[in-house]
Amino acid sequence: MSSWRQLELHPRIVSALEKAGVQSVRDALCMSGPDLQRLTSLSASDVRRLLTAAALLCRAQRPQPVLAADHSGLRLSLGCPVLDGLLRGGLPVGGVTELSGESGVGKTQLALQLCLSVQYPARHGGLDSGAVFVCTEDAFPSRRLQQLIREQRRLRADVPSHVTDGLQFGDRVYVEHAADLTSLQSCLRRRVGLLLARHLVRFVAVDSVASLFRSEFGLSDWLEKSKQLLTLSSTLHHLCHQFNSAVLCINQVTDIFGDSEEHMGPPSSTVRPALGLAWANQVTVRLMLRRLQGTASRGQENSALRRLEVVFAPHLPRAGRDAAVWKEGVRGLDGADAPLG
Amino acid sequence: MQRPVTTLRLSPQIKVKVLNAGFQTLDDVTQVSALELSREAGLSQEEALEVLQAARKEAGADEEGAGDGASLTALDLLQKEEALTRIVTFSSRLDAALGGGLPVGKITEICGVPGVGKTQLCLQLAVDVQVPPCFGGLGGQVVFIDTEGSFVVQRAVDLAAAAVRHCTLLAEEAEQRDAAAAFTVETILSNIFTVRCHDYVELLAEIYLLPDFLSSHPKVRLVVIDSVAFPFRQHFDELRGQRTRLLNGLAQQLISMATKHDAAVVLSNQMTTRLQGDRSQLVPALGESWGHAPTLRLLLRWAGPQRQATIFKSPDCEEATVCYQITTEGFRDDDDDDDDRSERPPSKRPRTLAGQSAAC
Repeated sequence: MSSWRQLELHPRIVSALEKAGVQSVRDALCMSGPDLQRLTSLSASDVRRLLTAAALLCRAQRPQPVLAADHSGLRLSLGCPVLDGLLRGGLPVGGVTELSGESGVGKTQLALQLCLSVQYPARHGGLDSGAVFVCTEDAFPSRRLQQLIREQRRLRADVPSHVTDGLQFGDRVYVEHAADLTSLQSCLRRRVGLLLARHLVRFVAVDSVASLFRSEFGLSDWLEKSKQLLTLSSTLHHLCHQFNSAVLCINQVTDIFGDSEEHMGPPSSTVRPALGLAWANQVTVRLMLRRLQGTASRGQENSALRRLEVVFAPHLPRAGRDAAVWKEGVRGLDGADAPLG
Repeated sequence: MQRPVTTLRLSPQIKVKVLNAGFQTLDDVTQVSALELSREAGLSQEEALEVLQAARKEAGADEEGAGDGASLTALDLLQKEEALTRIVTFSSRLDAALGGGLPVGKITEICGVPGVGKTQLCLQLAVDVQVPPCFGGLGGQVVFIDTEGSFVVQRAVDLAAAAVRHCTLLAEEAEQRDAAAAFTVETILSNIFTVRCHDYVELLAEIYLLPDFLSSHPKVRLVVIDSVAFPFRQHFDELRGQRTRLLNGLAQQLISMATKHDAAVVLSNQMTTRLQGDRSQLVPALGESWGHAPTLRLLLRWAGPQRQATIFKSPDCEEATVCYQITTEGFRDDDDDDDDRSERPPSKRPRTLAGQSAAC
């Protein structure tokens, strides 16, 4: 909310605006020319001048040719080349990515993995910064995080060991807890916002978004629920573009009954991400982690087979990669990567 | 000029003052100087100048019988319409259903659920508008307003490269070969002007300043806003009563921009659920009155495993549904259709519009 003194306008215009009670530049932009004329008794050219000045102040930037504009196209690597290949580099920085799946499939694991991969320097797919993990359900899985930290050398064989050894992984993972919606909102706005503003973190994971909404709202509250979802997603978007960071939201799934959701996508599975259309409209990249029949084996170790799929993304085809969860983390399996169609 | 002063486009207070001072017709007004007018009518210098400018403009326009704001006959309009070109979508079935492609000078809305292909179609149009005229395109530039962060350069490069390959394959005559050589991924990207708007105020500001940008970049033939729904649905509380009014104002500005600058405006919209009794229905977002703003409305949706595009509002084509797919190359026909001669080789655009072939 800026005041009129910021713009170089004739004092006559400024006093007319203040007399008419037009508080801020943003308010003026939300009114039409004739409305402003009526309210302030200024002439048409005065109003044009003031709207142009207001618009120039409020605009983001001039339209620029694509190559000249700052499209950094930064990605946050997942720590596995196969999965990064699925995402053409990794999670998009500056956007909100959603990861949904059944319980126990490995969503939290992947989020923890990202909390570590963000700490690597840019040439190894990281953002040279820390991560903040916001828990809304269970306690933070610190033992698993310690295990992942110990096994980083094994997961990131592509990174020279002196780099991996030099990183103090545990120091740069911040953990926050939020038991309900209000505290989640304030945690994001204040504590997470502060961590981002101080450049201490560039990755935010929220585990999970769905749990808070499902417990607090009954069937008849869907209007209030939609509003809260929009407020939450608006906060997340604002944080990730203001501080050029990546946000991952973990979501649960619900069953599909008959053709109640036939519009939302091709019939590829029996479950769909929770929280409905209002939330889906706010997500930039939607990923799903599914459990498959079968196991993957590696010497003595076995892991249930999973599949990481792209449900939608502006730059990715609908495709998936098989994956397994090992001691060192989630790794994609080379080989069968049939597109979903 | 016997036209009364009341017909001028001025604010009512000014007109009342002028009338009270005894100036009844345009003639009365144009015969005095600004100073005299301001003294006699009790107007400020600025206001008096405005009155004189408006009066002189109206007088001049009436004498010439043509110019800004003068009326056209229906025949003039028909000829103008037929001369207006269209932007192809690279999906020949959709283009056929649309009567050649998306209309220039009009607003087109694309609605659909997330992931169905709205951004892909917007990107495809941003590339297609640049196709050189001898290949059936407009050779124009595009302004892409991104409100969701869904404009990814990697994807634009994919679509641009595919379009370049398509044109290079089609090039036969020397002129076409030259045009194809100049049509590269770099030139395509340099002709797309992007701007990222993070909330509705930034979007309103950008639209307000866009006519100036279009005047200084006369080659722009397409303005894309992807999406118009996102910023207006985020700030629920802030916008409460104003949204309809803001959207109406936005629509008016876009319509006047489209006609004045001879550009197509393409907007993408989200879907929302509307409860009717105990049934819920998917409808385009932003409300009923917004539905009147676009001239042409396309609905993209899933029908089982297939993607379908339905034209559900259009002044000159029937409601039709076609199947499409999104490939690595972009928005294309769905080749796996039953009744389809799907092995058709890529063909040249027929030069059906009179007057176009002369230019090539």
